[in-house]
Amino acid sequence: MTHLIETDVVVVGGGVTGVAVLRDLALRGVHAVLVERFDLGTGTSGRWHGLLHSGARYAVRDQESARECIEENTTLRRIAPHTIEDIGGLFVLLPGDDEAYAEQFVEGCRASGIPTEELSAAASHRREPLLAPDVRLAFAVPDGGIDSWGLLRSMAADAEARGCKVLVRHPLVGMERNGDRITAVRVHDAVAGEDRTIGCQWVVNAAGAWAGDVGKMAGVPLTMIAGKGVMVVMASRYVRGVINACRKPADGDIIVPQHEVAILGTTSEQVASADDISVPPADVDRMIDMCAQMVPAIASGRVLRAFAGSRPLYVAEPPADGDGGGGDTREVSRTFTVVDHPRLDGLDNMYSIVGGKLTTCRQMAEAVVDRLAERMGVTEPCRTATEVLPGADHGTHQVAEPLARVERDKAYGELICECELVTRAQVRDAVASGLTELEDLRRKLRLGYGPCQAAFCAWRAAGMLADARPTGNGSGSAADGGPDVVAGLERFLEERWRGQRSTIWGDQARQALLNHAIYRGIFDLHGEGVPDEAAAPSARAGED
Amino acid sequence: MRADVVVVGAGPAGLATATRLAEAGRQVLVLARGNGFTHWGAGSVDVLGRVGGEPVDQPLEAIGRLPEGHPYHLVGQAAVRDGVDWFASFAAAAGLPHTGDLERNRAQLTAFGTLRTTCLLPEPAAGPEGLHTGRVAVVNFAGFRDFSPALCATRLRRAGIDATPASAPLPAWDHDRYFTGVELARAIDDAGFRRRLAPGLARAAAGAEVVVVPAVLGLNRGHEPWADLQSLVGAPLVEAATAPPSIPGLRLFAAYRARLESLGVRWQFGFPAVGVERDGDRVTAVRSEGASRVLATRCQELVLATGGVAGNGIEANRDGTLTERVAGLPVDGFEDRLAYLGGRFLGDHPLAAAGVRVDAELRPVDASGEPVAANIHCVGGLLAAHDPTAEGSREGVALATAARVVALLAATPAR
Repeated sequence: MTHLIETDVVVVGGGVTGVAVLRDLALRGVHAVLVERFDLGTGTSGRWHGLLHSGARYAVRDQESARECIEENTTLRRIAPHTIEDIGGLFVLLPGDDEAYAEQFVEGCRASGIPTEELSAAASHRREPLLAPDVRLAFAVPDGGIDSWGLLRSMAADAEARGCKVLVRHPLVGMERNGDRITAVRVHDAVAGEDRTIGCQWVVNAAGAWAGDVGKMAGVPLTMIAGKGVMVVMASRYVRGVINACRKPADGDIIVPQHEVAILGTTSEQVASADDISVPPADVDRMIDMCAQMVPAIASGRVLRAFAGSRPLYVAEPPADGDGGGGDTREVSRTFTVVDHPRLDGLDNMYSIVGGKLTTCRQMAEAVVDRLAERMGVTEPCRTATEVLPGADHGTHQVAEPLARVERDKAYGELICECELVTRAQVRDAVASGLTELEDLRRKLRLGYGPCQAAFCAWRAAGMLADARPTGNGSGSAADGGPDVVAGLERFLEERWRGQRSTIWGDQARQALLNHAIYRGIFDLHGEGVPDEAAAPSARAGED
Repeated sequence: MRADVVVVGAGPAGLATATRLAEAGRQVLVLARGNGFTHWGAGSVDVLGRVGGEPVDQPLEAIGRLPEGHPYHLVGQAAVRDGVDWFASFAAAAGLPHTGDLERNRAQLTAFGTLRTTCLLPEPAAGPEGLHTGRVAVVNFAGFRDFSPALCATRLRRAGIDATPASAPLPAWDHDRYFTGVELARAIDDAGFRRRLAPGLARAAAGAEVVVVPAVLGLNRGHEPWADLQSLVGAPLVEAATAPPSIPGLRLFAAYRARLESLGVRWQFGFPAVGVERDGDRVTAVRSEGASRVLATRCQELVLATGGVAGNGIEANRDGTLTERVAGLPVDGFEDRLAYLGGRFLGDHPLAAAGVRVDAELRPVDASGEPVAANIHCVGGLLAAHDPTAEGSREGVALATAARVVALLAATPAR
C-alpha cells in the first residue's frame, strides 16, 4: 500500500488540545501530522467565552482542576502573552448569596494556590463602576481573557516551523488496524475531494467532544458526555475585568469582556450529541437576567448573538443512564485524563486525551506526549512550558491597541470595519496572502463581528476582493479567474444570520432591518441559491 | 410651545407632510429624533417594485394585487398620483429634477452592478436605459472606500453590458487620510475642484459611451455639479446607488429643509418625542426630550411619521410584543421574538411589515377597528400591512399617505 504521507504520529483534532499536542511533539523532534475535519478551532475551542481561568471557579468543588488552571494560567502568560488580555477577575457576592460559600471559596483558593484579594463594596465599585449597587463584597483573582484563535495560530505556526504538518478540512474517515496496532488513518481531503491514507506508528486522539467517534473508528470504547453551554454576546464590554458570581456554579454566572464585546455564560446541560449546538431563546433570556443581577446595564443592553459550545466531558465510568440528555453536567470534573488504550483495550499504539479545558491545553498535551514519548523511546523532555510562542514579543494584548496604531500611523488607519477597527491595510494583506472568502477574513481579522453585524464592512471587503481580481466576470466559472465575489458575500451574510434570531429584539432588531434595507433594498441582493437556515445541518448553525 | 400641527419624524413621510401642510397654510412644527430614510435609502422614489416576490413593471396597476389593508388601498390611487406628482414638482423646483412616471418602473444601477426597480430617479441616476448601447466605464475616485468598480462591473458584464472597471485620480485636496462620500461630494460642489477632477475622470473613462460613478457628485448645489462635470468630461455620467448615507438622499433632505425654513416651519432636531398629553379622545400636546428637560408642545393635530421598527417608531420587545414609542398606540405583536424574522437574511422578515393599523383617515384603530384618538394621523413606514424593503414601496407609501393627510388637514380651520 502506498501512503500519501508517512509519519510517526497522527494527531486527530484541530482544537487547542490537538494543536498543543502537535507542538509538544514538534519540540521533542517527533514528526507528526494533525488532521482536522473543518478548520482549526471550529469545535469547542472556537465556541466558548474566552476566559483564561484562574481556577477560582473550581476552588470549592474541584480542586484538582483549580490547581491545573492556576499553574497553566501562569504558564500561558509566559509563553503566549500576545493572546492574553490581562484584565483580572472578580467574584462578587450579591445579597442573596451564601456567605458560607464565600468562606469555602477563599479557603479553596488558598488550598489550590490561587491568590485572592478581598475588596469592600466601595473598592469593588471603584474597580467596576457598573457593578450592581448591592454587591456586598468581591474577591479579586487572576482571571484573564484569552484569544483561542490567536493561541491556535501561534502553536500551529510553531509546530509547522519545526517540520510537523497541519491538514485542515481533512475529516477522518477510517483507520487501518492490523491486530493490536493501527497502521494508518484514512482521511478525506474535502478540498480536493479525494480520500488519502496516512501511514503512522502512533495515534493521539485529541478530538475533544468528538473523541468517542474516533474511538469507535479505532474499535475501542470511549464514552464522552456532551455538555452543552450557551453563551450570549453583548455589544459592549461593560466591565474592565471578568465578573463571576460567588456562588455554586450556575447558569449566567460569568461576564467576560473580550475585544469590543462581552460574553455572558453559560448553561451546562447534557445533550445527546456534541453536534447539538442549538440555542433556546429561554436560555438567552435566563443568561441576561442572571448576569444583569451583577451588572444591571446588561438588562437593557444590545445583544449581538448567542451561540453554544460542547464541553468535552469525560468520566471513566459513565453512569448507567449516561446516554442522553437533560442533566446538569456541572458535577463532572473539569480535570483531564489520558486514556490508556494499550492497557485498557489492547490497542497498542493509540492514546486519547479527554476532558480538561482550554486553559489547561498545554498541560494536557504534555501528559499525553510524556506517555507516548516513553513508549517511543524519545528522551527529549517537554519544553512547551518554557519555549515562548511566535508572536509573543509584544507583551499582553491591549484592547485599545488597534486604535492606538491608527493614531500613530495614518496610512494604516483607513477603517474598513469601524466596529472592530479592521483597516484597509489588514484586509489588503490578508487578501494578498491568498484569502478569498469573507468567512476567512472574519476569523482572521474579526471582520463583521461588531454591533453593526457587517452592515458596512462586508461589502467594503467584498469590493476589495473584487478589485484584487478585476478580470473575473463574476460568473464563478473557472474561466473568469475566480469565484463570484457577490455570491460569496451572500453566503457570508446568510452564515452570519444563522442562529441570530434568538437574540434579535430592541436596537438589534432595528439593525437587522436596516442591514436588510441596505443589502436587499439598496443593493438588490436576493441570495437565491443560498440555503435556508431551517434546511442547514445543525452542526453548522450558530456562531463559531 | 404650540403649533397647529406637530409632525413627528423627518424621513420621507414626515418631510413631505410637513412641507405640504405648511404650503397649505398650516402652522407646523417638526420634531425629529434624527435622520430617516432619506439618508438610509437608495436616493430614488420606490412606489411598488415587487408584489408577492414578483417584480412589478407597472406600479399603479400592480396596486390591485396588494393584500387587503395595505396603505395604498386605504388612501387610493388618486392619493398615490397626487403624492408622486407633488414630489416631482417639488424636487424639480428645488433643483433636483427626477425622471420617470407611475406608468412603468425604471431600473436604478447600484454599486453592486445590480439594477434595482424604482419609479422616479434623480436625473444623475437615470442613465441605465442607455447602458446596453455601448462601452461602459465604471470609475471610482481613487481612495474612496465605499465603491468597487470591479464589483460593479462584474455584475454588469453578467447582464450583458460591456463594462470595464477603472480608477480616476483625485486632485490634491485637504484630506490626508481617508474620506467619506459626504466629504467628497462637498468638494465636488466646488467648480474649481470639478475642473481639476474632470481630466483624470475623462482619461479613466477612456472614450466609453457611458461613465458610471458612485453617487457623490455634489451635496448642496442640486444637480448642477453633475451636469457641469458631465459636460467637462464629455460623456454621460451615471450615479450608482451606494450604501448609506445616500448622497442623493442628503441633497433631497437639504432641499426639504430649505423649503421648510422658507415656509417658517419650526424644526426641532435631536428631540425625540416620548409621549402625549390627552383630553378625552384628543391629543392636546406632545412631550419631547430635550437636553435637560421634557418639553410639552401643544397642538391641534398630531402626525406620526416615526417609521416602523427600522425607523425607530416601533420598539420590538424581547417577548414578541411591539410598542409604538410616542403615543403607545396599539400594535399587533408576535407569538414570540423568533417570529420576527425569517430564516434567510436576504429573504423576507415579518417584523418589517409590523406597524399601526389605521382607518381610511389614517387614524390609529384598536382591535375592533375604532379610532383610538380623533386627532392622530399616521403616515409612512409606521403603518401596518406593508413591507417597504421587500415591496420596494417606501417613498411611494410615504408620499401617498402624506397626500392623504394633507387632504384631510389642509382644510381643517385653525382653532
